[in-house]
Formats: sequence, structure tokens, C-alpha cells
Amino acid sequence: MKKQGMKIFIAVLTVSVFFAASLGAQGVQEAAGPEQVVVKAMAYGDNSNQEGVNWVRIVDSFEKANPDIDIDYEMLYDEAYHQKVVARLASGDVPDLAYMGADARWGLPWKEAGQQFDHRPFIDADFYNLDLIPPMGLNGEIYEIPLGTSNITTVLYMNENLVNSLGFSAPETYEDMVAMVPAARAAGLEVVSIDGADGWAWGSCLMSTIIARMSGDPQWVSKAVAGINKFNDKAMVDSLSFLTRMVNDGVISSKSVLVDYGANISNFSNEKALFMVQGQWAAGGIENPAVSEATKMLAWPKLPGEKGTAGSVAAAIQVGYGLTKNGASDPAVRDAALKFIRYFYSHEETTQRLRDGAIVAPILKNFQVPDDLPTIVKEKVILAQSAMTTDVIDAYLSGAANDELNTGMQKIVSGQSTAKEIADKVESLVKR
Amino acid sequence: MKKRDLQALPAYIALVAPALIIYLFIIAYPIFYSVWLSFTDFNPNRGGSWNFVGLLQYRTMFTDPNFWHALKNNLIVVGVSVFGQIPIGFILAYLLFRKMVKWGRFFQIVVFLPHFLSTIVIGILWKRMFQADGPVSRMIQIFSGDPMAQFEMMLYRETVMIPIGFALIWIYTGLYMIIFLANLQKINENLIEAAKIDGAAESQIFFRIIVPMLAGTILVSTILAIAGSLRGFDLIFSITTQGLQRSNAMVLPIFMYQSAFQDYTNSMRFAYGAAISNIIVVISLILIAFSRFIGRKTE
Repeated sequence: MKKQGMKIFIAVLTVSVFFAASLGAQGVQEAAGPEQVVVKAMAYGDNSNQEGVNWVRIVDSFEKANPDIDIDYEMLYDEAYHQKVVARLASGDVPDLAYMGADARWGLPWKEAGQQFDHRPFIDADFYNLDLIPPMGLNGEIYEIPLGTSNITTVLYMNENLVNSLGFSAPETYEDMVAMVPAARAAGLEVVSIDGADGWAWGSCLMSTIIARMSGDPQWVSKAVAGINKFNDKAMVDSLSFLTRMVNDGVISSKSVLVDYGANISNFSNEKALFMVQGQWAAGGIENPAVSEATKMLAWPKLPGEKGTAGSVAAAIQVGYGLTKNGASDPAVRDAALKFIRYFYSHEETTQRLRDGAIVAPILKNFQVPDDLPTIVKEKVILAQSAMTTDVIDAYLSGAANDELNTGMQKIVSGQSTAKEIADKVESLVKR
Repeated sequence: MKKRDLQALPAYIALVAPALIIYLFIIAYPIFYSVWLSFTDFNPNRGGSWNFVGLLQYRTMFTDPNFWHALKNNLIVVGVSVFGQIPIGFILAYLLFRKMVKWGRFFQIVVFLPHFLSTIVIGILWKRMFQADGPVSRMIQIFSGDPMAQFEMMLYRETVMIPIGFALIWIYTGLYMIIFLANLQKINENLIEAAKIDGAAESQIFFRIIVPMLAGTILVSTILAIAGSLRGFDLIFSITTQGLQRSNAMVLPIFMYQSAFQDYTNSMRFAYGAAISNIIVVISLILIAFSRFIGRKTE
């Protein structure tokens, strides 16, 4: 027994020594290699969308051009990205560089973790147009470099050919849209398609513009979050009630609460709807070239009961890449990350982003807009230049109150709740 | 301790230590941390100081209607698992074991197939089935003659767990079928032959011989089903869309996730999430103890 025990002990010891030695050897090899600055990054996208594909391509070419820098990234998309940000920050695994924003949805985790870093001292004013980068902090701090100018979230996409084929033209009032309902139904078409199964779409892409119109105040939402307005004020109740009217009028189908993001874009792209509600970023997702070419990007027409802000769209500061405090604390990492950001925002890449429909307009200085841009991109620029912008709800409202508002709108549309009930619940959660 | 045992002690320690260290760091530490966190107001994202808040998180949880809604849904999932997947799996296994169907191998593979797929893939697949004008809606439209008809069960709290329960049965029944089939194949067939010679009907063979002999397997399967149901997150998360559907179908792990990771208005959200996690563990232990108690009684 004694001999057997000793044999086992020696065997375990031998394996441990061998393991330790191999690790040590690896360490020596690494130490002997060229010294690389590693930038830990969190990227946004996936392998099936343009954002993700472009990120991988840009990182590959950057690393080839800069062998002394390693962009060690993790790329996630949609909810998975938001989950991972929180998990990494809470566990102390803070990336050096990340896709982030400065609002309630994209900026809060970084703010809470104290990881927002003011980029102002490091922004090259000869490269970026500082007039196009809005302040993000109380003292004018800039926490990320936006991919483009303000991000319009409440675009009404119109398939002009389809609308014309039914004998109509671009609507000037809501009643004009109601007038299209019988003809659209007869042709087996939806009037307005929205991804109503996604709660956020109601808030970000529709209600943000309705409340600004019904209240006549472009900053109604931020004032409500600050306690100046109440979410159960008449303006909000009227705005929520308007959803019921849209369903009753047939402008939006009650089944839209079963349509998700992909199906919504697919419906529009496959000419099953005259209009689509989404943010400006969805322009790149319209894959049918004929539809893309025939698409007009509009602000919602004049709504009944509208008190002001005619022709407005809701818009938020565009998200982008920024350094974290953690990344900025090491000068070598900070410089490497800033070098990468500049590469990422180069004129060539920004032009590509513009062509892909991912941004409204660039924030670069002396940027020459190409003449051969796709029609839909030109449409976007026209809308951005002409429309007044208002608050986006989830740029200010977050957590349980925002969830209640989003699910509440789905309940209203599916006939499960009234506007007043939802407005009261949201206000009580905001107060809490 | 005997002398020779003492001499072998270093070897024992060397063998046990790696696994013990891994266990302590990966299993034990998070459990203790979670328990500790639930009694504090600590926010790991923010860092800094923390205070002991006693049972505050638990009190908040028990007064939150979303908790009771999630618990109700979780118990429905447990019910579907224990009273749906296991009996159906058992019956299918018995049919295959007794060779009551042709092409037994084929059916065995078909029923077990969903278990090879990623839960997320399955969730997305079923989400597509239930979406507007999706396959299920199309079938309703064909049978009802109403071209506008839609499958709307996902929109209502009262009905959302029906399609989800159906999907759960579709996914996991094959697993229990395989477990039961493997155990049925261990039964001496002479027993069944003897019963038949004595004039036992098929139902008597099933209830008087097969079920008692597989009582242990049923108990183990029940424990597996309960534990799996209470930690189930991925399927329900992926089968529902963000917003109303997920709110309707919320189970405790999703409630925990939303409370801890998404509700920025609650600065103690991680501690609150830890309290919910701990309750999931406690409920799981109670249900497992209850099923063992029932198992012993029936023995």
C-alpha cells in the first residue's frame, strides 16, 4: 500500500512538474517574441451583418499594417452585446476599447462603472469635425467617437412605386395614410409595417416622434424624466391613445405585435407594405435593390392633434467606439487604441459606412460626399438636413419604467390595456 | 488513523486537491458570494463600499408581482416536465421496447433528434413558427377560412405557456425516452414472458411490472426535470421577443437576469438578482426533496 501510494504521488508530481514546465516554456517563448501592445476590445456586429464583416476586415488590415498592435476583440450583437457589457464590467474584466454610447441605453453601464473617458484632449481637430460631435457629459465631455451625425430613430420608409401604383403620393397628413387603407387591403398589402414584437421599436421608432408632436415640445421626454413633465400627462395619454386609433384606422395592423425586426424589414423589402417604421440604420437592410431604389425616407406626416414640431424626427447621439478609463490608464494601450480608432474612422471606411446605410452623415473634417451614393443614402442625408430633431425615449428613460412603456404599447395595440393605465404605471415606476 | 494511511495521505491530497480547488473556486465561491451579496446593497459594477441590508432584497422580491408571475410560469414548466415529458417519454420508450411500432429505430432517432440541436436554434425555430403569418398562423388561416387570423397565444399571459410547454415537450421528451429505454433493456424479458403465460394483460405488465421496476429511474428523471426546469433560461429567452412576449413568459431565471442586468434604475440590482438566484436554488431543493419523499413513499 505504501509503495502504491508513493507511486501515485510521484506520478501526480511528475505530471504537475511537466505541466508547469511547459507553461514556463511557453512564457519564455512569448517573452522572446516581438513586443505587442494588446488592446482588448468589445465590438458590435455579427458575421452576417455589414457592421461585423467590416469590423473583422478592418481589424485584419490594421493588424497587418501595425504588427506591434494586437486588437484582441470580442464581437457581439443586439441583446447579447448589452448582456456581455454588464457582465464584463461587473466582473472587472473591462475592455480597453468598446462600442458604446452616452445615453440611457448605451451609456449607463459605462457611466455606472466609472469607465467613461473624456476623449477631448486626444481628438484631432484636423481629422474630426468637432462641430458635428455633440457634448455627452455635463461639462462637454466626449465619451465616444460617434460613427456619424445624429441617429434618426423614427423614419417612415415609403415604397414610392407601390404607393404610386395604388394611385397615391407621399402623405402630407395622417388622414392621407388612412385614405390608403382600403386600396392597400384590396391589394393584400399592409399600410405601415412595424416590428411590433420588439418592445423597443414602439418606443424608439414610433412613440418618440408621436409624443413630441402631441406635446409640441421636442424635449418633452427628457423633461419628463427630469420630473418637469409627467408620463401620465394628457400629452402622453393622447399619444398612447393614438396607437389605438392607428390600429382602428387600419394604418397599423394589430398583428404587428407578432412581427419581429427581421420580418419587418423583410416585409418591406418584399413589397408587402407601403411604409415601414424603423430607424435610419435599417436602410442598409433593404436588400431588394428595386425597393431600395424606390424608397423615400420621410418624417411622419402631420398627425391629428399635433401641437407643434411639425415634420420632426426623433434622433439620438450616434453610438461609436471609445476608450474606457481602464484602457486610457496605460499610455501604450491608449495610443494604440486611438490609432486604431482613427484607422476605423478613415475617409475610406466612413465612405463605406455611408454607402452601407449605417450612418446618416460623417463627422470627419473636409469629407467629400461621393456623387455616386445609392439613392436611399441620399434620401437619408436629405431627411437629416431638413427635419427638426426631438428626444428619443430610451435615450433618457431606462429600466423598469421603459420596459413598462414598451410592453404597455404592445398591450394597447393588442387590446389588453388602455392608454391611461399604461401612462399611470410608467409614471409610478419613474417616481419609484 | 492507521500509519499506512498517514503515509498515503500526501498522495490522497495530491489527487483530491486539484478537483477540490476547482470546485471551491467555480462552485462554492459563487454560491457563498451570491448569498452574501443578497444581504447587502453592493453593486459590483460601481464598486466601492457596501452596507448590510438584512432581508431587504427578499422582502422586495416577495412584494414584487413579477416574482409571483415568474414563479407561476416556472411551476408550469416544472409541471410540463414532470407530468408531460416524463410520462410521454416513458410511454414512447415502452412502445419501442415492446416493439409495438414498426421502424422503431427510425422513431427513436426522430424523437431524440431535437436534443442534438442548440436550444437557441430551437427557440428561434419555434419563434418563427409562432410569428405573424408564420406556419402556425397559416394553418389557422387555412382551417378557419379567415385570412387575417393569427396565432396569438404568445401575446397573453394566460396562454403563453401553452405553446412554450408544447415546445418543451418536443425538445426534451426524447431524452427521457432514451433514459427509460436504456433501463427497460436491462429488464429480464423472462419476467414479462412469465407474466404473459400467467395471463397478464399488457396494461398489467406495464403497471405491475415495468413501472415498479423503473421507479428509481422515474425518480432520477423527475429530479433532473425539476432542476432543469428551474434553471431554464435559454429556450424561453430565445422563443420570445423582447417586450410583451418575454414579459408574459417570464420565468425566475429571466426575472433574475432582467432585474440584475437591465434595470439600471435599481442601484442594488445585483444584490436583488442574487436574492432571486438564491430563491431559485431553495425552491429547487424543496421540490427535489418533495419528489424524493414521494419516491420513498411509493416504494
